[in-house]
Amino acid sequence: MSESRKQILQMLSDGKVTPDEAERLIAALEGASEGATPRRDGTPKYIRVLVEAEEEGAGEELTKVNIRVPILLLRAGVKLAGLIPQEARSHVNQALREQGMTFDINQLKPENLDELIDNLQDLSIDVDKKNRLVKVKVFCE
Amino acid sequence: MMLPLVMDLRVRTDGGHRIRLWLPLFLLWLLALPLLILLLPFYAVACFVMRVNPLSGIRAFWNLLSAVRGTHIEVDNARTFVFMHVY
Repeated sequence: MSESRKQILQMLSDGKVTPDEAERLIAALEGASEGATPRRDGTPKYIRVLVEAEEEGAGEELTKVNIRVPILLLRAGVKLAGLIPQEARSHVNQALREQGMTFDINQLKPENLDELIDNLQDLSIDVDKKNRLVKVKVFCE
Repeated sequence: MMLPLVMDLRVRTDGGHRIRLWLPLFLLWLLALPLLILLLPFYAVACFVMRVNPLSGIRAFWNLLSAVRGTHIEVDNARTFVFMHVY
């Protein structure tokens, strides 16, 4: 038990604070300690993609897909993409545009990947496709 | 950072056939090593032409291969089942 928590309980037993006040103080203390936890401790290592889909003609059986990709692999891929010469990059961008993807690989940087991972805490998507349910869940772990 | 050593591959086909393979990837790296050494001069020339630091390229490729460890793919439906894990 932490020293601060002991002090709050002592104040409660001394009658200096009411039980409600003590509860609020403990809650505030827990909130503060969670906020003080370094973010690095919770650094995710993998991106997990879970898909559950009703397949046509398969009855009640669901098609399940479970993919776990190491985040290091994404980082290594981004770094490798950074070695692509400038001339080749313009060709890649043009090919992507022709396929209808307006994506600039010059913007593919490790810091952008960090931002994506930070925001990808728990993404869940439900897709209703012609009365067939497809559930997609993407999260970091 | 270590290269992946083994891949566990399991497949169940529509006909009920089950295949389970432990693929020793470390043997693949050992077999590929002489070939990579032979290709090294061509790689150096390509890096020179493309103005890429050859050491950065090797490091990036090594990191990419090493990061494959821990990859897990599982697809399961009424007819087939595919499982792959890289150790």
